[in-house]
Order: sequence, then structure tokens, then C-alpha cells
Amino acid sequence: MAAPRHSAMLSISNASTPQSTSSDKTQVQQPQSPAGTSGLRVPSNRKTIYDRHLNRSRNAELSRASFAYLFGEMVSYAQRRVTGIQDLEKRLNEQGYPLGLRLLDLLFYRATSTSSSALSSSSTSSSPPNRPLRILTLLHLIHGPLWRLLFQRSADALEHSVSPDTPNEYMITDNEPLVNTYISVPREMSMLNCAAFVAGIIEGVCDGCGFEAKVSAHNQPTEMWPSRTVFLVRFGDSVMEREKVLERAGVK
Amino acid sequence: MTVYSFYIFDRHAECIYKRRWLPRPTSVAGKSQIPGAVGSSGQTVRAGDDDAKLVFGTVFSLRNMVRKLGGEEDNFVSYATSQYKLHYYETPTNIKFVMLTDLKSPSMRIALQQIYINLFVEYVVKNPLSPVEHPGGVGVNNELFEESLEQFVTRVLA
Amino acid sequence: MCVSTKLHPRSALAVFSLIIINKAGGLIYQREFQAGLRKLSTNDYLVLAGTFHGVHAITRSITPKLPLQNTASPVASSPGTSAPTTSGFSYPNPGVPVSGLEYLETDKFRLTCFQTLTGTKFLLFTDPMTGSVETIVNKIYELYADYVMKNPFYQLEMPVRCEAFDRHLGAWLRGRT
Repeated sequence: MAAPRHSAMLSISNASTPQSTSSDKTQVQQPQSPAGTSGLRVPSNRKTIYDRHLNRSRNAELSRASFAYLFGEMVSYAQRRVTGIQDLEKRLNEQGYPLGLRLLDLLFYRATSTSSSALSSSSTSSSPPNRPLRILTLLHLIHGPLWRLLFQRSADALEHSVSPDTPNEYMITDNEPLVNTYISVPREMSMLNCAAFVAGIIEGVCDGCGFEAKVSAHNQPTEMWPSRTVFLVRFGDSVMEREKVLERAGVK
Repeated sequence: MTVYSFYIFDRHAECIYKRRWLPRPTSVAGKSQIPGAVGSSGQTVRAGDDDAKLVFGTVFSLRNMVRKLGGEEDNFVSYATSQYKLHYYETPTNIKFVMLTDLKSPSMRIALQQIYINLFVEYVVKNPLSPVEHPGGVGVNNELFEESLEQFVTRVLA
Repeated sequence: MCVSTKLHPRSALAVFSLIIINKAGGLIYQREFQAGLRKLSTNDYLVLAGTFHGVHAITRSITPKLPLQNTASPVASSPGTSAPTTSGFSYPNPGVPVSGLEYLETDKFRLTCFQTLTGTKFLLFTDPMTGSVETIVNKIYELYADYVMKNPFYQLEMPVRCEAFDRHLGAWLRGRT
């Protein structure tokens, strides 16, 4: 279920360690040595992850249990030395933020290569993807492609704040956040929502597109969906001003 | 079906009778047995004293647990592990009959009741020479009772 | 089993209650699903868990030991037939690991005890006629592994207070009946 998320994490984590691999390539000369000193294991066919096509792991499946344990440890880790629930949510948010920033590139890359011929290795042949310029385009990108990349399904709802005082607030709803599947929050921490991690990812994506925003996760349980979560996206004033200018200019 | 051992506990929690049967050697390890070393009818062995105490402690605890959960009129019947099955029967006079058998055996409740009615009452309770209480097994270890118990287990139950 | 399920459609599915005991003998979970057994106080349940923990160990230790008769060749005895033998005796079921109490029967209920490899015990109280108790216990273990062990807020060996576990357990048992 969590397949795309893991594959995305995999490619990201590797992209962030180019040095270790380049040093590793010297070791490849002796395939007999069992990867002792380097840390990275080189496959027997000598093809590192950089030699693989980026879309290779797009539909690969990874263990949901492994993710649950990993995320559980992330929460436990964030829980150490925190002063309160808000502090804990902030830490989870900070863990997700860089992921969102980096995920954006993969998201754009995959968005194009699926639309055109997936077989052609170079993405230059198809039209390069456009960075979203308007808020609504961005939100649709998050609601649809980003959610599908992470969770293999779209988010459940996208709403604009009805209050005239807060036109910069948008809400994305997930009825059953994957990250919260196995988590029961203790009663004394009932305000906590560990999907703050996902909120951090959204914030990273928004920032990566040039939309300054604050994103937070809130519990909104219903009878049918006990772990229903609303992600509140609040765009900064500069974004709202630009939005008005773009609207007048007719940019879509 | 194999019977491994049999215990009687009186109302003072004392073990007043115990007996162990060894199964036929063929059922243990089928190779190169010395023929005639053990009679096929089984052989009685004095079980260790500790064993009886542990058995009593177990059935006593389980009986109390069952009464607590199921009510006073509920009865502990048997339990099983991966290796053996323990059957339990308690008379209205608070004498406890316990039998350990292999896992294949059906419920032994009726059998234990028969041992009580047809053997214990007949040969121990009705025996004018037997005392009312049986400290150390006095009165239970008479020839008639032991003989007929042996027959019951080896012929009727086998 | 199948026949009895058909004959007693209601009672055959009765699951009275569940108790989880940690490896030290402490009660970490107790929940009643259907009326049928007497209600005990929390303290009584704690005592029951501790008692059962001890009894379980004893039921294992009083496993009958069958003396081996082949004194002629005690060492070079057939290796396949009696694996867990130590000098001179074997257990009734040589191929199976020795366990403590696995199920207990009374007039009114059946207690099934499932012990995990790490020593946690699941005690399930059902109607004596309930079929396929093993399926139920396995499912409970699965839910425990998912919603208790994967919960970052659960502290090992401590009482289980996981709302998601309660919810899924209740929903699954209701779905069965």
C-alpha cells in the first residue's frame, strides 16, 4: 500500500549521499570483497541505484509493517526531550519538510513520463512540466498526484475556508491517513496528530513551488472514519498578494 | 489411549493415593527393545512426592479460578497441554480424583466417577477395617481397591 | 466442529472475554465481549492473571516423563523418534515442544491459552461449543501485533490502552457473530 512512498524515500535517501557512492565505485573493482568498509552494498551486476531508471521502483511494493515500525521509531525519537504536544508536532513537521522539498522533483519527473511515452528514457521529448503558479493548481497537485505518489490514492476532500477573514486557508482531508493506521494516541495527548509529519511534507512541497505556507494536521474524527485528519494549509500574505496580481493578469 | 498417572486427594489436601503407569515400551522408542524387560500390562512406580503436591496445587488453583469465573455450580473438567491431558473429578464430599492421560483420550469424567462409585466407595468406604480418614494413604492401599483399579485402567480404559 | 456450529448458531460463536498476560505474569489487558461469565473486580483479575501465570508454568513441569527402556544402547538410540530426550526419559509427544496449559474445559466455558514465542499469554474465554477458536486467537494475535506493537505510544509490558486495538478487535468479533 505504501509502495510509492517508500520508493520515493529510497531514491531520495540515495540522492543525498553521492559521495559515499562515488567512493564506493572504486570498490566495485573487487567484487569478491563483501562490501566490508564502505557501508553501501553494490549489487553483483555492478549496477548501482544510479544506473537504474527512476521509474523502475514506481510500482514496487514495500512492506507496510516496515514503514509502520520505522515511523513508530520516528515518533518515539521526536518524543524525546519535547516540552509538549505542539513541540512534538513541530518536530514531526520538521522531519517531513525536507522530504516534501525533494519529493517535488520526483513528482514532476514522474508526472511527465507517465503522460507521454513511458518507454523513452529521456524526458526531454515530452513537454517539461510546469511549476504551478496559482494556488488552486498547487492544491490540486497535492490532492491528486502527490497523494497518489505517497499513498497510492487521492486525498478525500479539498476545501476553501468559508470565513471571509481567512481567505488564505485551505483544507485537505484524508479519511484514513496511512501514517496513523496503527497509532493510538493516549487520552492525555488527544490533541496530537502524528500526521503532522505529512503536514511537513505538504509544507515542503508548497515551499518548493514558491508558495510560502504553514501546514498543520488536525483530528476531525467521524463515526465512520475515526482517524479522519484535516490538513490546514495557510498561505503567507505575499502569496495572497501575488495571487491577486496573477488573477488580474489572467495567468492560469 | 494411555493412562500415565492417577491421584486421589482428600479434603485436607493430602494425597491419599497415587499410582503411575508406564506405557508399553514400544510406544516410546520402537527400536531394539529388550523383550520381557517390562510386562505389557504396565508397571507401577511410586511417583515422586513433589509431583503429587504440584498436581494438587494446579488443580486446586484451577478449580478456584473456574468457580470464580463460572459460578459455584461450574465444574473444572480437564485441561490439556501439548503433551498430556489432565482430568479432574470432585465428589460432593470434596475428594478429588485426578488422572493424567495422553491427548487422544476422550473425556474421563465418567471413568473417574466410576472409579469413585464402583471402586472407592465399594472397597474403601465400605470396608469396615478402613479408617474414616486416610492419612498417608491408610485404608486406600488395600488389595481389593488396587487390584480392581489396575484392572479398570488396563482393561476397561485401554 | 462444523456440525456443532450449525446446530448452535448463536452459542457456537460466543466469545466471553479476553485476557492478556505479559511475560512477568502481569495483567495488561482485560475485556469482556459477551455476558456469560461472572464479573470480577480489577484486583481479582490481577490475582487471576498472576495465579494462571504460575499454574501455567507448573502444568508444564508436571509433564509425564516416560523412562526409556533401551538401556543396552542409551546413547546410540534412534535419533528421529525421540528428539527431546535427556538421559533416560522422553516426553509423550517427542516431536512437539513441551508446553504449559493450552486449553481448559469446564461445564460452562472453555479457556484457550495461546503463548507467543516471547512469553505473552492470550487467554480467551469462549462457550464450550465455540468452533475454530484457533482462528479467533490467531486473529487477536495479529491485531495485537498491528495495533499494539506498532503503536509508538505503547510501552512494552505495560497495560494496553490502544484505542485502535479495541476498535478493530470489537469490530472483527462483531463481524463474526
